[in-house]
Amino acid sequence: MVYKPQFYPGATSVAENRRKHMSGNVEKLRDISDDDLTLILGHRAPGSDYPSTHPPLAEMGEPDCSVRQLVEATPGAKAGDRVRYVQFVDSMYNAPATPYFRSYAAAINFRGVDPGTLSGRQVVEARERDMEQLAKFQIETEMTDPALASLRGATVHGHSLRLPEDGLMFDMLDRCRKEGNIVIMHKDQVGRPIDKKVNLGKPMSEEEAAKRTTIYRVDNVAFRDDKEVIEWVHRVFDQRTIYGFKPE
Amino acid sequence: MSDASTNADYLQLEIFPSRLLSPSRAETLLNEIALLEGVVRFFVHGPRVPQTVPYGPATGETVDHPANKVIMVAGQEVDLEVSVGGIRLEVTDADVKEDIREICDRLLPFSYEFREGLFIPTKQTVTDYAKRGSDADPMLIGMADPKGKLRNKPICILNKKSE
Repeated sequence: MVYKPQFYPGATSVAENRRKHMSGNVEKLRDISDDDLTLILGHRAPGSDYPSTHPPLAEMGEPDCSVRQLVEATPGAKAGDRVRYVQFVDSMYNAPATPYFRSYAAAINFRGVDPGTLSGRQVVEARERDMEQLAKFQIETEMTDPALASLRGATVHGHSLRLPEDGLMFDMLDRCRKEGNIVIMHKDQVGRPIDKKVNLGKPMSEEEAAKRTTIYRVDNVAFRDDKEVIEWVHRVFDQRTIYGFKPE
Repeated sequence: MSDASTNADYLQLEIFPSRLLSPSRAETLLNEIALLEGVVRFFVHGPRVPQTVPYGPATGETVDHPANKVIMVAGQEVDLEVSVGGIRLEVTDADVKEDIREICDRLLPFSYEFREGLFIPTKQTVTDYAKRGSDADPMLIGMADPKGKLRNKPICILNKKSE
């Protein structure tokens, strides 16, 4: 029998969405061009070559090493790219992803990434082209709603604040704005103005965000409603306690 | 030390909308409130919107946030340094409280919390003392923006008493 990972327990829509994020089996909702992505990440000029920190691995004459033979380097590592980051912030008001599930998605589905999970933000460090591949995946799919999630390299607060009237997560650096029925980004992720407005697509309606979220909330799907999740959380806590109990 | 700022019979109220208010809606709401007889004083609070990027690689870049606007309240210019997330008021009696509730019902298209409590300090704090000295106007007690600078005149006197 072939092993099929189950990822996450539960029968509610939130549990199902958590499984989707972890498995990488998410719906693609929008397109963002490579140049636009480069522009909003702000690490290099669009269209320029990837700066490198070392020569390509093929030219370096690596030592004979069984681990190197076993694990193929990622494209970014092969080319000697710099390590760069992408950082997302997700609103507590039914944003599709949360820092934990962005990290699960990155660590399970991408190689050569170093996800960092914090209470209000999630950062991934990787070789530049590997990081861009991950950023593009997360921005283009249902893991991101341009209104309730955003790229914020610095000054990340806003995830736990009430939404402004236009429904866009509060951002004190004003990186995104709603123009008509689309969200545009007119600054890069750290707040430097960029040459053009990058179209991030239509924001989700409140109903759609509630349907696609991975956040349990009492005003949407409550954590206590998911019997199977509760059972497993109890089991994990029980076993962790018993594991730590060591009578002499 | 200055005396306690408030009359013991005055009520303190807080309007806490479920969304951060746009400057135009905040302006309309504050103007209606300022026109009411019986509103002693009020202030707005919310997340700060800086003029320039405070830290990170873009430090010093102009932000130009849409919430950072100059609004007119009762004929006075008020430079909003925060995105309006709540309004705290002191009023003379319960009738004024109901008038304010009616204004909020009419002007806020989303839900809001409306509560009575103690939101403005009634005695001079050490900070107040340090900023204004021992003979400060009791009406200003507890009204300072903790992060504001006195030179930026963080308090506007809307209804100046005629001399």
